[in-house]
Amino acid sequence: MLKMTHINRVYRTELVETHALREFSLEVESGEFVAVTGPSGSGKTTFLNIAGLLEEPTSGSYLLEDHDVSRLSDNQRAKIRNEKIGFIFQSFNLIPDLNIFDNVDVPLRYRGFNASERAKRIEEALDVVGLTSRVKHLPSQLSGGQQQRVAIARAMAGKPSFILADEPTGNLDSLMARQVIEILEGINAKGTTIIMVTHDPELARRAHRTVHVLDGQVANPEAHYSSLPAAVDASNNAA
Amino acid sequence: MTIRPILSALLRNRTGAILVVGQIALTLAIVVNAVFIIQQRLEHIGRPTGMDVNNIVSTRVQGFGDDYDHLATVREDLAMLKSLPGVVSAVASNAIPLSGSGSATGWRDSDGEDPKSASGNYYNVSAEVMETFGFSLYAGRTFTPEEIDSRVVADTPGNYLPKLVMITKELAIELFETPDVVGRMLFDGLGEGTQIIGVIDRMMGSWVGWENVGNVALLPSVSDRPWTRYAIRVEPGKADAMVPVIEKALEDRNITRVVTSTETMESMAKSSYDADKAVAVVLTIVVFLLFIVAGLGIVGLASFTVNQRTKQIGTRRAIGARKRDIITYFMTENWLLTTIGVAIGSILAVALNLWLADAYGLERLNYWYVPAAVAALWILGLVAVAGPARRASKISPAIATRTV
Amino acid sequence: MFGYYLRLGIKSISRHPALSFLMMLAVGLGIGVSMTLFSLHYTMSADPIPEKSDQLFAVTLDAWDPEDSYRGNTQGLPPWELTYRDATALLESDIPTRQIAMHKSYFTLNMDASEIKPFMVTTRQTTKDFFEMFNVPFLYGSAWDSATDESLEQVVVLSKATNEKVFGGVDSVGKTIRLNTHDFRVLGVLDTWEPKIKYYDVNNGAIDESEDLFMPFALSAALELPFGGNTNCWKQEEIVGHQGMLNSECIFIQYWAELTSAQQKSEYQAFIDSYANEQKKLGRFERPINNRLDDVVSWIEINEVVPSDLTIMVGLAFLFMAVCLFNAVGLLLARFLAKSPVIALRRAVGASKRAIFSQHLVEVGLIGLGGGLIGIVLAVFGLMGLSTLIEDIDHVARFSWSLGAIAIGLSLGATLLAGLYPTWRICRVQPSSQLKTQ
Repeated sequence: MLKMTHINRVYRTELVETHALREFSLEVESGEFVAVTGPSGSGKTTFLNIAGLLEEPTSGSYLLEDHDVSRLSDNQRAKIRNEKIGFIFQSFNLIPDLNIFDNVDVPLRYRGFNASERAKRIEEALDVVGLTSRVKHLPSQLSGGQQQRVAIARAMAGKPSFILADEPTGNLDSLMARQVIEILEGINAKGTTIIMVTHDPELARRAHRTVHVLDGQVANPEAHYSSLPAAVDASNNAA
Repeated sequence: MTIRPILSALLRNRTGAILVVGQIALTLAIVVNAVFIIQQRLEHIGRPTGMDVNNIVSTRVQGFGDDYDHLATVREDLAMLKSLPGVVSAVASNAIPLSGSGSATGWRDSDGEDPKSASGNYYNVSAEVMETFGFSLYAGRTFTPEEIDSRVVADTPGNYLPKLVMITKELAIELFETPDVVGRMLFDGLGEGTQIIGVIDRMMGSWVGWENVGNVALLPSVSDRPWTRYAIRVEPGKADAMVPVIEKALEDRNITRVVTSTETMESMAKSSYDADKAVAVVLTIVVFLLFIVAGLGIVGLASFTVNQRTKQIGTRRAIGARKRDIITYFMTENWLLTTIGVAIGSILAVALNLWLADAYGLERLNYWYVPAAVAALWILGLVAVAGPARRASKISPAIATRTV
Repeated sequence: MFGYYLRLGIKSISRHPALSFLMMLAVGLGIGVSMTLFSLHYTMSADPIPEKSDQLFAVTLDAWDPEDSYRGNTQGLPPWELTYRDATALLESDIPTRQIAMHKSYFTLNMDASEIKPFMVTTRQTTKDFFEMFNVPFLYGSAWDSATDESLEQVVVLSKATNEKVFGGVDSVGKTIRLNTHDFRVLGVLDTWEPKIKYYDVNNGAIDESEDLFMPFALSAALELPFGGNTNCWKQEEIVGHQGMLNSECIFIQYWAELTSAQQKSEYQAFIDSYANEQKKLGRFERPINNRLDDVVSWIEINEVVPSDLTIMVGLAFLFMAVCLFNAVGLLLARFLAKSPVIALRRAVGASKRAIFSQHLVEVGLIGLGGGLIGIVLAVFGLMGLSTLIEDIDHVARFSWSLGAIAIGLSLGATLLAGLYPTWRICRVQPSSQLKTQ
């Protein structure tokens, strides 16, 4: 479903050259729930950017559902992000001017669905996260947990191939965090692949598999459906 | 504070800088040219007329009946008008100075070969011309009632010339190169001569936009063509009140004629200058709005830069910059932009003026307008940036340690 | 998607009413000032008779002073009017479809045994084609015919306003009015006819109203009517009485010809040139041959009906608008850059650059629209202000639907153009910038 092979990503400024990812390879199967962990500066964010087609790799190949997506135009990447990828961010990133309904509507608009199709999908998505009664509310009128559930609805409404979650519980207290992770598990159980970047070892443990990134490479390439190694705990605490 | 780091910061935020510089440059170019035009118009409107414009009422009568005797009517009208309470004096004239309507002709200094010539308005007037218009005599004398030439048009050539004339100093100097011309002869285009008996200090003719408006000749004559205008000098401050009184007094004489266009000379002069005044007013408004818009533009962009650099400013404060240093920084930055703007603007201003002079015959700029406008924009820039700079200086040094 | 962008634009504007209003005000001030002056310019230079302006020609002949050209040597134009003798000679030609010789005069209109106080009227003495040539509408009756042009019959056509003043607006055809000491029979009454520019006689008050009444040209000589407009003479000649004026080299007659084809025009040009050449043999027309046929639009132009002051002010006003637009660009840039996070998010969830570009251009367009509306309001007040500053320009200092459309178009166009840069800048926001923890 997602296959990255020998991905390199180099950032250049006038003075410095930073290798954010080096020879990074990773394969994710359809239906998996993968946690990506690693200390700050390890290359997690760069991985997420490239996996989410927000950035292009400097070299290497990236196959998404058997199509090479490593060398696409800006437009083509936008189209794939819209149709195949759902994003969930640490700070929710809802549009403050728009109400809940319109926020979930955003990716569907760019998809070009007609009004009734959009309404149906928004309804369904909000139903999954239990917020159908709040469609007219603005994000500022909701709690953080509710906002993140709206963001999940927005990510799901387009029925993507996989969801990329960036520290989805990072800005939430533990109760709200649990609700959010349960919803994600529910979605995954219905077949949607989830790739989640997190610092939280407890959260990582709930994934099927944990990929640990260190210095721009996968530190545990052999890990499959295993529990988190002790070494990673240590590095997380350090971060 | 050194300018180098400010300059390099500006170069990195080029767009904002270009917007400020562009606004300042255009503003300067417009303001310089607009103020120059305004100044010219005000000078034009403010020229001395040589007459007591504020206390004169004018009117026009037109006879139409078979039994209408124009020459007798004029005589009686003038006597009646002079007897009205509030009236100082009255004169019959074919036209009223400053009104936009009148006649002009070319005058010559001799009837010989290759004469000098000058054109100017002329007025066919009755004897009371001097006390009515209120001009002052430079030399010589005015007409006596006996000298007024009353003719029947049908018997005389179209452009007949009375034997005596009074002229303005300006016309005298243009033709004879001296104002002392009493006793000399003035000639018309046909070579007919008339003797100059008086020279008027100053009197403006009919068309205020005409370059020869100061060249005036007064001819002592009343024709029997069935119409004339009267100028009536009234007691000071009574002009407006006397308009209906005069109109009614003339109408009440019940002659087969129409009395029209009774109005104060002041209002006639005012409408002659309408266009000049409109130009001055419109351009004043434009200049005023420009200063507001350009000022707000500087405030807006300075606020934007301050917002963008909140953290940087906090850091500067944290490492020891005083509030004064922050204010100086922004003032200097803005002063630099204004200076670049006015430098470009000065060139634009002069170029615009040259182009206007070339395409529309506008006069060349007095170049001191440029430094005056530069100074004004410098002040505007400093005043406009003061607010945002003060706000920047109030940014807490604690911002530096926050992660936002 | 346009509807969606429109909704987003309105939302964005209403979320930041103060800043949005400031931007609209900046644009609106620029539009308001420039449209105030442009409207006046536009109305004064507009084609007053577009349906046939290219077939109507002002005829001018250069019979002026051999020593000195008429309007100064720079322009090389012949005088704007003709002598009486040249005008009557040209009337003999049968080349033009229609042609008129005319001048302005005035009378005292006095009715016997009437409540109406005698009053002055302006008149136009013209040959009969005037009305058909300039598409002058009739309310009652009609113009005179060519026989009347010859017969010296005292007939008159009244303007609608004069008919209202004298006859209370009823059909007055056949009634009599008294002008000075002459009785005239009313032949026709005009309907409302208000050309904004008095293009058929621009040199005697280009924005004056048309005359109060019209009568056959031949009556001018027969009744020795005074010449009410500009009269200019150059020659040192004895002029005795009215007949003297008619025989003189003084100019006071306006002359127009209607020429419907290029061939007809060149035939007529040849005719007036050969007339001038014949006159040369008689010792007149001592200047080089310089006879012109100018159509309505170029006639308005060469006679500088639009004062150059106004043109200069229009130019300065457009420069002022440029300053306002600079301002609006600065504000837009600040506003859009502040929106970067939201735009990055839209990009992340799949908006193409094009979609972001369109969305923000629509928002810019809304600001332009708002600015245009503010500008129209300001221009309407501005024109009212100008009317109070300058007498008798009410009819040209007037806002119209087409000027409104121009204002909106100008505002939209200028704002969109100015908004291109901020919009382009905002499209370049990296979608990945959302992922960086905030």
